[in-house]
Amino acid sequence: MSTAGSDRNDGAGEAARARAALIRWRAIIVIVLVAGLLAAFWILFADRIVRSTLAEAATESLGTQVDIASADIDLSSTTLELRGIAIAHPFDSTRNIAEIGRAFVALEAGPLLRKRFVIRELNIDAVRADVARENPARRVKSEGFLPRALRNVQAFRKQFDVPLLSLTPIDTIKSLVLDPTQLQTVKAAEAVANRADSVRQDVVARVQSIRPDVVVDSAQALVARLEGKSPRTLGIAGTRDAVRDVRRLIAQVDSAKRRVEEVRNAVDRELDSLRNAVRAVDDARRADYAFARGLLALPSFDAPDIGPALFGDVSIDAIQQGMYWVMLAREYAPPGLLPRENPGPKRLRRDGTTIRFATRESYPAFHLRNGVVNVSLGESVGAARGEYTLTLADLTSDPVLVGRPMRISFTRSAAASAVESIDIDAQLDHTGETPKQAIQARLAGIDLPSFDVPSLPLRLDLGAGTSTFDLTVDGDAIHGRWTVSAPSASWLEDTSRKAADAPGALESLITRVISGIGNIQLAAEVSGTLAAPKLAVQSNLDQLVADNIRRVAGEEIARAEAKVRAEVDAKTAEARERMQAKVDDVRAEADARVREVHERLERARAELDARLKALGGGLLGG
Amino acid sequence: MLLVLKALQSLVKTLHSDGTPTQIAAGFALGAVLGLSPLMSLHNLVIFAVLALLNVSFGAGLLAMAVFTPLGFVLDPVFDRVGHWLLTDVPALHALWVSVDSTPVLAFANFTNTVVLGSIVGWLVLAIPVFIGMRIFVVYYRSTLGARVRQMRIYHAVVGSKVYNVYRWFRP
Repeated sequence: MSTAGSDRNDGAGEAARARAALIRWRAIIVIVLVAGLLAAFWILFADRIVRSTLAEAATESLGTQVDIASADIDLSSTTLELRGIAIAHPFDSTRNIAEIGRAFVALEAGPLLRKRFVIRELNIDAVRADVARENPARRVKSEGFLPRALRNVQAFRKQFDVPLLSLTPIDTIKSLVLDPTQLQTVKAAEAVANRADSVRQDVVARVQSIRPDVVVDSAQALVARLEGKSPRTLGIAGTRDAVRDVRRLIAQVDSAKRRVEEVRNAVDRELDSLRNAVRAVDDARRADYAFARGLLALPSFDAPDIGPALFGDVSIDAIQQGMYWVMLAREYAPPGLLPRENPGPKRLRRDGTTIRFATRESYPAFHLRNGVVNVSLGESVGAARGEYTLTLADLTSDPVLVGRPMRISFTRSAAASAVESIDIDAQLDHTGETPKQAIQARLAGIDLPSFDVPSLPLRLDLGAGTSTFDLTVDGDAIHGRWTVSAPSASWLEDTSRKAADAPGALESLITRVISGIGNIQLAAEVSGTLAAPKLAVQSNLDQLVADNIRRVAGEEIARAEAKVRAEVDAKTAEARERMQAKVDDVRAEADARVREVHERLERARAELDARLKALGGGLLGG
Repeated sequence: MLLVLKALQSLVKTLHSDGTPTQIAAGFALGAVLGLSPLMSLHNLVIFAVLALLNVSFGAGLLAMAVFTPLGFVLDPVFDRVGHWLLTDVPALHALWVSVDSTPVLAFANFTNTVVLGSIVGWLVLAIPVFIGMRIFVVYYRSTLGARVRQMRIYHAVVGSKVYNVYRWFRP
C-alpha cells in the first residue's frame, strides 16, 4: 500500500466519519465567535440602539416627536438613565409639551426576562413644561395616544349644547318660516301613529289567540243538548256524565277567562307605553319651541340659561382637561383580564396581531410601582411657575393583575411664586369590571383663565383667584364640578368686535351692567353620561343679566315667544291630531274587543252554572 | 437578478456537495422555517445555530430560506388566520399560550403573534413533505443530471469562487 494511497484512504475515511457524525463540533467555534461579536456589538452600541429605539417607540406611541439626547444602560442592576428627553407638542410643532432633564428607571429583572416592564423606581428631574423648540418638530404619520385622546375629548366637548346669549334687536318674528319636516314633533307624532297601528294588530292577534268561539260554541252546544233534561229523564249514569261534561266546559271557560285577563294586562301595558309615547311628543314640541326660538335668536331671560351662555365654553375647557386624562387612562389601562389583542411589531412581513395572555399570577406588561417626578414650571405659566412634585403609584397597563387603583398626586414642593397652593389628586380604579376615575384639584392664588365673552364685545380676565375641580367618571356616568372665585376680575373692551357690528340697545345695556362687576363667582356642573353629558353653569351675573333683559325686552320677548309657540303648534297640529285619533281608536278598539270576549265567556259560564244547578251537580259530585 | 444568481449558485453547490441526500434534505427542511416565518425572530436564531451545529447541509438551509421567503410573504394572510384561530379559538391551548407568554426568554420569541405562530405551524406541516420531496429530488438529480452538470464550465465557475471556500466550512 503506497503512502499516497494510504493518505487517500485516510482522507476518504475522515470524510465518511465526518458525514456520519451527528454534531458538527467545529461549528461551535463559529457560534461562539458570532456570539462574541454580538456581545461586542451590544457593549459598543447598546446605548445608542436603546436610545433610538425608545425615541422611535415613544414617537410612534405618543404620535408626536420624542427626542432623547442620551441613554445609559446598566444590565447588572437593570437600570436605565435617560437624559435630555424632549416631547413635542402634538398640535404646535414649535413647542415642546415637556422637556425632561433626567429620567432614572430601575426595572425588575425577573419580569424583564418575560418581556414585562415592572419599574421598581422612577425618578424624573428637571422637567419643564411648554418650552419653545429650537427646530420645529416633524409631523408624525401614525396616530399616537396624545392626538387620539385629544380628539376623543374634542368629540366629547361637541356633545354639549351651550345656549347662545342673543342680544340682537327683536324684530325678526315676521321672517320665521318653519319647515314641518324639520320639526321633531311631526316625526315623533308619525312614529307614535305607526306604533298605534302595530299595537292594534297586536291586540287583535292576542284576542284571537284566546279562541273564545271554540269554548263558547261548545258551551252553547252542551247547554242546548241539556235543555229540558232533568236527572229523572237522564237517569243516574246519564246525569253523572252530563254533570262531568258541564264541569269540564266550566273549567275551559274559566281558563279562557284567565287568558282574557292576561291579554287585558298585556294590552294595558301596551296602551300605557303608547300614552308615554304621546307624552314624549309633548317633549318634542317643547324642543321645537326652543328650535324655533333659536331661529329668531330670541334672548332668554331665564337665569339658568344665562350662566351657560356666558361661561359655558370656558367651563367645558376646564372639564375637558380632566376628561383628557380619563380618556388616556381608559385607553391604556383597560379593565378586565387578558388575553388582549395588540398590533404586532412593524416589519416587512405582515405585522399580524400579538395576543397577550396572563393569569392573575402573571406580571403586568407595564407596572410603575412608585415614581417621583420633579417638575419646574417656567414663566410661560404665569403665577403658577415654580417647583412641583408629581408622585405616581401603581401605574399599569393591566390594573386587574396589579389589583390596586392607580394613584397620582401633584403638589407644590417649594413656595416661590404668588401661588398659594396647588393640590391635585387622581385615583383611577380599573381593577373591577367598571372603570372608575376620580380627580380632585384645589388651586389657590393661581392665574385664572381669560376669555372672550360670547355675544358681547368684552374679554373677561378672571385674574388671580381660587379654583376647585372635581370629576368622577364611573363607567359611563359622569359627574364633575368646577368652581371659580375671582375677586379681582377685569373686563376689557373688544374694540374689533364692536366695530364689526353696531351694538343694539340691549347689548349695550348688558355690556355696561356686567362690566361694572369685578367679583366673579362661578360654579359649573357636568352630569349625565359620556355619550350625553349635561352642563349647568351658575354665576353671580346670571340674575343680574336676566333681570336687565326682562326689564328692557321682556314684553317683546314674551310676545315673540307666543308667536313662536303658535307657529310650531300650527305646523304640527295635523300630525298631532292624526296621532291622537289613531291612539284613541286603538284604545277604544282594544277595550271593545277584550270586553266583548269577556262578556261572551261570562254569559257561557252563567248558562253552564244554571245547567249544573238544574242537574243537582253539587249533590252528585264529579 | 443577483438574488436569482445567488440562489442558483447555492443550488448547484448544494446538489454537488459531499452531503448525503438525507443531510441535504434535512438542511433544506430546517431552513424552510427561516423563509416561512419572519426572519428577525428568536426561534430563527436557534434554527441558524441548529443548522450550523447539526451535521446537515447548511447551504441547503440557506437555499431553503431563499426559496421559501417569497412563499412566506404570499402565505402571510393564511398564517395570520391560522395563528389567530389557534390563539383565540382553541380553549384547550389557552393554558399553553399563558405558559409561553410567561416563560422567561421564551416570551421574547413572540409565539403569541398570529403570523409567527401561523408560519411555524405552516412549517411544521410542510417540513416532512419538504424533507421527503427534497431527498427524492437529490437522489434523482445525482443519478441522472449530476455527472453532466459537473462537466459544464459554469459549474467550475461557481465552485471556484472565493465564497465557496467559506461555504466549505459548513459542508456536510
